Amino acid sequence: MRIMMNIKALQRIAGASLLAAAALMTGCAHQPMGAPVASTDNVQKARTASAAPMQVGNFARGPAMDAGTDTKISIRATTIFSPYKDSFALYLKETLATDLRAAGLLDPASPLKIDGFLIENKVDPAMSLGTGSLAARFVVTRAGSPVYDKELRVDATWESSFVGAVAIPAAINQYTALYRKLVGKLLDDPAFRSAVGRS
Amino acid sequence: MGHCLPTGAAGAGRFITRAVGAMLVALLTGCANFYVDGTTREVPAAQFKKMAEPKPVQVLFEFQTKGVVNARATDHLKAQVIDQVKASGLFASVDDKPVANGSMLSVTLNNVPLTDDAFSKGFVTGLTFGLAGSKVSDGYVCTMTYTDPKQPAPLVKQARHAIHTTLGANGAPTNATKADNVEAAVRTMTRQIVSNTLNNLSQDVSFR
Repeated sequence: MRIMMNIKALQRIAGASLLAAAALMTGCAHQPMGAPVASTDNVQKARTASAAPMQVGNFARGPAMDAGTDTKISIRATTIFSPYKDSFALYLKETLATDLRAAGLLDPASPLKIDGFLIENKVDPAMSLGTGSLAARFVVTRAGSPVYDKELRVDATWESSFVGAVAIPAAINQYTALYRKLVGKLLDDPAFRSAVGRS
Repeated sequence: MGHCLPTGAAGAGRFITRAVGAMLVALLTGCANFYVDGTTREVPAAQFKKMAEPKPVQVLFEFQTKGVVNARATDHLKAQVIDQVKASGLFASVDDKPVANGSMLSVTLNNVPLTDDAFSKGFVTGLTFGLAGSKVSDGYVCTMTYTDPKQPAPLVKQARHAIHTTLGANGAPTNATKADNVEAAVRTMTRQIVSNTLNNLSQDVSFR
């Protein structure tokens, strides 16, 4: 019976083996995040928001966040960083731009501009339950006049593992997904929808 | 083999850690063999039911691991999937940006571990493998959602597939094709599962 339990436990852990091995083969001690992928849900939200085309402006770390938290984050033995000038704030900007572009709502010449400030950036691939959180302040201006200013936060929990080869890829994926989740929360916000509506 | 297993929770933990480590070493050193399940065969594009007047479509693709987007794997497979949709002949043109008629095809490929739970949930129906010994199987679910603003509801189609990994001298699974390496296995599985989902979509009378 114990043998069967051990084998079953091994099988559960090994279920994600292919991609875990792929991650190891890429030499994952210090690795960039993958480029943002347009989210179908966010694209649909943007499409149904009756929003005007907008530009994505300046994104930076908030004043209370230390520089190190914006440039790298450790997931056990692996350090991940943003492919955009080593800045997670810029990764958030690119995530937003990717969704808006896919929705046909990105216009660098628009008078409607979104700026963002990253104010929280955490991930913890603990032995049993992984956790992560991300928060930003978004500021929208129309022709220079502020029309929206709000802090939004998202978090996630997931089943982690004491085996790093399982826990690290899972944490990277969950952490990366927080960016599109935060953008989704912005697109869902009625105040944001009102601010970016076609005037 | 059973008498080599340690006892107790700590012993089980050490066993699992060592076993996973050994498995990863095997994967990295080429001692692992990869097999693409034989149940889901590629459907040639010629068999797809074509529209009389194909329309342009915007395609969004993402690879998921247990339902969570995997950006690096998405980047790895995106071009292959987009090219396959283009070659299907089901659409007048394929773009990752919005198209004039507003049609959109969302393609997700979700990698799910196949455990004993998968049996109870019916995932493995029709797929050929046994979860025993040193065999490990990864399941894949391809979901395509076609949205046409002129249609009352999106069309949703799915197909399933699996890749089996054996370690060392373990025998090959029945009804599965050995791949040269993990890269070839994943690309073959992707081509086959996408072709099946596209075919399912094309056969729907509402797809017009």
